[in-house]
Amino acid sequence: MTAVVERPGRRTRTGSRGRPDEPPGQRSPLATIGFLLPAMVPLTVFWIVPMILVFWWSFTNWDMMAPEYDIVGLENYELLITRGALGQVLWNTTYFTVGTVVPTVVGGLLLALLLHKRLRGSSLYRTIIFSPWVTPMVAMSIVFTWIFEPRVGLANYVMTSVGLPALPWASSSDWAMVVIIIVTVWRQLGWAMIFYTVALGRVPADLYEAAEMDGSSSWAKFKDITLPMISPTTFFLVIIMTIEALQAFDQIDVITQGGPAGSTRTLLYFYYQAAFERFQVGEAAAVAVFLVVLTGMIALAQFVVGRRFVHYQ
Amino acid sequence: MATSRTSEPLDASLDEAVSPPELGPPPVHTGPRRLRDLVGTTGRHVGLIVMTGLIALPFLWMVTNSIKTTDEMWAWPPVWWPAEAVWSNFPDAWSAARFGRYMFNSFFVAAAIVAIQTVNTAMLAYAITQMRFWGRDMLFGLVLVTYMLPVPATYVVSFIILSRLGWLDSYQGLIVSNSVSVLAIFLVRQAFLQVPRDYIEAARMDGASHWKVLWQICFPLAKPVFITVGILNFIVQYNNYFWPRLITRSDEMRLVSVGLRQFFIEAGAYGIQWPLIMAAATFIVLPLLIGFLFVQKWLVRAVSLTSGQK
Repeated sequence: MTAVVERPGRRTRTGSRGRPDEPPGQRSPLATIGFLLPAMVPLTVFWIVPMILVFWWSFTNWDMMAPEYDIVGLENYELLITRGALGQVLWNTTYFTVGTVVPTVVGGLLLALLLHKRLRGSSLYRTIIFSPWVTPMVAMSIVFTWIFEPRVGLANYVMTSVGLPALPWASSSDWAMVVIIIVTVWRQLGWAMIFYTVALGRVPADLYEAAEMDGSSSWAKFKDITLPMISPTTFFLVIIMTIEALQAFDQIDVITQGGPAGSTRTLLYFYYQAAFERFQVGEAAAVAVFLVVLTGMIALAQFVVGRRFVHYQ
Repeated sequence: MATSRTSEPLDASLDEAVSPPELGPPPVHTGPRRLRDLVGTTGRHVGLIVMTGLIALPFLWMVTNSIKTTDEMWAWPPVWWPAEAVWSNFPDAWSAARFGRYMFNSFFVAAAIVAIQTVNTAMLAYAITQMRFWGRDMLFGLVLVTYMLPVPATYVVSFIILSRLGWLDSYQGLIVSNSVSVLAIFLVRQAFLQVPRDYIEAARMDGASHWKVLWQICFPLAKPVFITVGILNFIVQYNNYFWPRLITRSDEMRLVSVGLRQFFIEAGAYGIQWPLIMAAATFIVLPLLIGFLFVQKWLVRAVSLTSGQK
């Protein structure tokens, strides 16, 4: 589509009867501006300008208090790399992302398949599985903190009951991320399930009928028909969940605050601490830029890879 | 949502995957197909009961713990059901922090945001789909790009902008800084493109203004999309935590998640208040779960709308 330049005088007729609150047809640039402003002003002030400024600030050493700041070039970026904090942060981010996306996608598909054919009580199952998604992450993170309480928590009770050792969970740097991942997967599993339910409903039934006539096994049908047909959904889900995982905050802030020993400090949490705990705006801005570029690349991958390899509508 | 739940072959494969092996292979002689279906259905129920049980468990644990005594809460092995339900935990928790205020704030802010978003989304989507102006597609491209970007990356700058405006710790700050939903613009634009051109042309011939065409023709036709997105954004804003936490200071301005977290930190530090924390979590989560039952179909629609895009 190309922008169509407005042609004055084309719709004079509509304007002739216009009352003051009735801008004439397509002629009034004022009306256009009036229609755009209510959304474009906040969008500009709180989304577009900050996005541009954050790039600029990443080249400065502002500390949020001082009236002035210097331009320090790439120093913030250099510090990030040389001080070595970024390595652990990136590892944590990857761990969290893979750890939430894979179980959510696989579990969501499995649940959608279980509920796909007519089944007594399926709407009740679906309601319960989907319900965590509306609950506030903060409240449920607090509940999970209690479930994973190391001494008397329900999780350790279950573990010891089946003969497994009790774990220190959120108080140990080895297990804290696991707790964060469990909370996250618990909350978004139903959402992925609904996504797949919709996708499965769109697979044409005659494909299965054809395969059935050829005598294909159930597994073959799943592998050769279902999986390829829902691959756009899988791909889309992976992209969205990855972008969302990069922005996870609430559960980390409530359960571990990035600890213990930085074991749950993701890129976003690192950014938050730099900006709002240490007030190193320049450093935080550099991390933000990194986050933006990373997200941008994933979003771009969606367009490029999506167009090229996932050919089913 | 249009889902067919009748494509049998798919489920047959699934049934095999989940049926417990100890039930053995179906005997070949007596109606194998039927028995296999029965085994499959049972297997699916077992799998689903286990999954739904695991998912519901945190809710159940939250509720039973909210009526325990502190001693019962710290007991080992855990007490499943308290000897005597301590219902007074609820009023005690309610008065221990200003939860009424927090809930009002969340409700008010979320409602105001959704109301504003409905109007400005409708107007922008109308301009993009029904008006001709220079740079229209570029503008829509710009809006789309903001959808892709990680919003928290803007927080450090938005925070300073809000403080310069003097809007930190205020309703207008909470509302205006969240008053655009790019997802809404995206979906409503899609819906407005479906509005038959004849309707709009006819209304224009009758001298209807853009404003009238928007609210009397486009809006009613796209109402389901507005309701879907409105409910979705209401829940997101009601539960919102990160940004409201950054821009509110005073107790009066806290949204419910921020207030609950504060209560958790202050009360949890002593360990003796855990039943109250669970009670607070319960009266915050339960209304949402009950509301969910009523709006569930709209949320399912929201998921299918978003998945239908790219």
